[in-house]
Amino acid sequence: MNRLVKIEILKIRTNASFWVLAVLHIAIILLVILSGKMFLRSLSIQGETISNLIDPGAIPLYQFPDIWHNITYVAAFLKFILAIYVIISITSEISYDTLRQNIMNGLSRKDFIVSKLFLVVLLALASTLFLFFTGLIIGFTSTPDPRLHDVIKYSGFIPAYFLLLTVYLVFALLIGLLIRKTGLALGLMFLYTLIIEPIIAFRIHTEWIKGLLPIKSINNLIHMPFVKYALREVKDYVAPLDMVIVSVYAALFIWFIYLLLKKRDL
Amino acid sequence: MSLDNINHVVTTSNLTKHYGRIRAVDELTFAIPAGSVFGLLGPNGSGKTTTLGMLLDVINPTSGSYSWFGNFSKKENRQKIGSILESPAFYPYLSAVDNLQIIAEIKGIGYDNISEVLKITGLYERRHSTYRTFSLGMKQRLALASALLCDPLVMILDEPTNGLDPRGIAEIRELIRTIAQQGKTIILASHLLDEVQKVCTHFAVLNRGKLMYSGLVNEVSGAEQRVELSADNTGELILLLEKFPGKRKLESAGEKIVITLDGSIPVSDLSRFVYQHGIVVTHLVSLKRSLESQFLEILNEQV
Repeated sequence: MNRLVKIEILKIRTNASFWVLAVLHIAIILLVILSGKMFLRSLSIQGETISNLIDPGAIPLYQFPDIWHNITYVAAFLKFILAIYVIISITSEISYDTLRQNIMNGLSRKDFIVSKLFLVVLLALASTLFLFFTGLIIGFTSTPDPRLHDVIKYSGFIPAYFLLLTVYLVFALLIGLLIRKTGLALGLMFLYTLIIEPIIAFRIHTEWIKGLLPIKSINNLIHMPFVKYALREVKDYVAPLDMVIVSVYAALFIWFIYLLLKKRDL
Repeated sequence: MSLDNINHVVTTSNLTKHYGRIRAVDELTFAIPAGSVFGLLGPNGSGKTTTLGMLLDVINPTSGSYSWFGNFSKKENRQKIGSILESPAFYPYLSAVDNLQIIAEIKGIGYDNISEVLKITGLYERRHSTYRTFSLGMKQRLALASALLCDPLVMILDEPTNGLDPRGIAEIRELIRTIAQQGKTIILASHLLDEVQKVCTHFAVLNRGKLMYSGLVNEVSGAEQRVELSADNTGELILLLEKFPGKRKLESAGEKIVITLDGSIPVSDLSRFVYQHGIVVTHLVSLKRSLESQFLEILNEQV
């Protein structure tokens, strides 16, 4: 196990595309979070109100406990940057023939999958930890009177974000292994996530069946929080059922990955 | 499996691979003796790489089986085999050292041998350059370094001299000999017959996925031999040679006559025979029978 971790770290340590995409991911998350803060402040200074009722400066976007829900929701949109790297990682192993050479040198196909799953978990964990510390810092600087109870409340969205990222990246791994070509795999991932599944979802009228679609169920882990500031009701918790659904998907994806690699001539 | 496994590094039994209707490898049964330098010959597309791919578990056989070192467990066996299949495969953005470190981790060994194998293959000076900056010859040598890295029991080399200059080819040939002397088994797939004849002890010929021949390289040159002669009176010489006891075939090529003999007869017998019958030869050359002529013969027999 330790060996497989080391192998994957050796592969990414000096990989330019890994570092470019990792920095991009973090930079864009920071940019989005901080720009939201500035935007609200400027609205407030101009004396604008939302629905003629609410002063934008008074919205506790960045205060405990709301911050956890808000930043994880926003950061979840940027999961695709890490997914791009996962796809590049697996498709380049195929095009460089290094997947085949790894097997010839003594990895089993299962070992190879485990090492790639480790990459997925590493990316998801790093992003989650980054978001967690960012949340703590911004939360403590924005909350006038932070109390432990508020800091902890809603912090369940942090592990939910980890789960969401992990399952999406496993999905990207499956697409990459299935399609083999980097460009085509990236295209299919975006096409499915942004167009194909939304169209399917549009045709389904029963809400709970809609929630069984893979991307929809992943996105369901963290619901849109902002409408609550317009005094509408929001699902402000992570539903255990949603976690079960995405976990089943993760297991299915991994099983497909295993079957694909086992049957394939390299 | 019989006791034979002790003396063979790998045995196959009816190993078969179909791609649709094409039989890339067809019911291959053979064994590779431990300590041999085994040449796998065949024209392009005869199934050499497919066969090696199956032995290395990267291609799933349609049917049949194989066994390394008398045991079937695959992953641990491959850790003890150094292999190159077709072209070298490395991470282009990593240095030579980083690439070898990954292989060392896969093989479950330390990094101690890395400098050593880079020196043997003449890449030590460029060890920190990324792989993508290497010339084809250097890539080929890094592949060889990676195959040597784990101090392997068996080395599988598929066209190891592809793309090398004459000096590189000679170096690799020398390296193969040195490695073979250490008692390691080498499996060499090639279509360069000259190469196989120079380094191999055993060879097998594949054509269209079928095993055509398998035997010792020495036997090829030992079964028959050809001698070229000429004399002042060619007609008389031909008449005389027709009566030589060990004769198999007689051909005349202009002034020169080529006689094919049993491999067991010393050429000196022929010389003495001719002389005792009062003919003085002006020219007598023992033609070494090449693997190439044997190879072409084996292939022609099938057509």
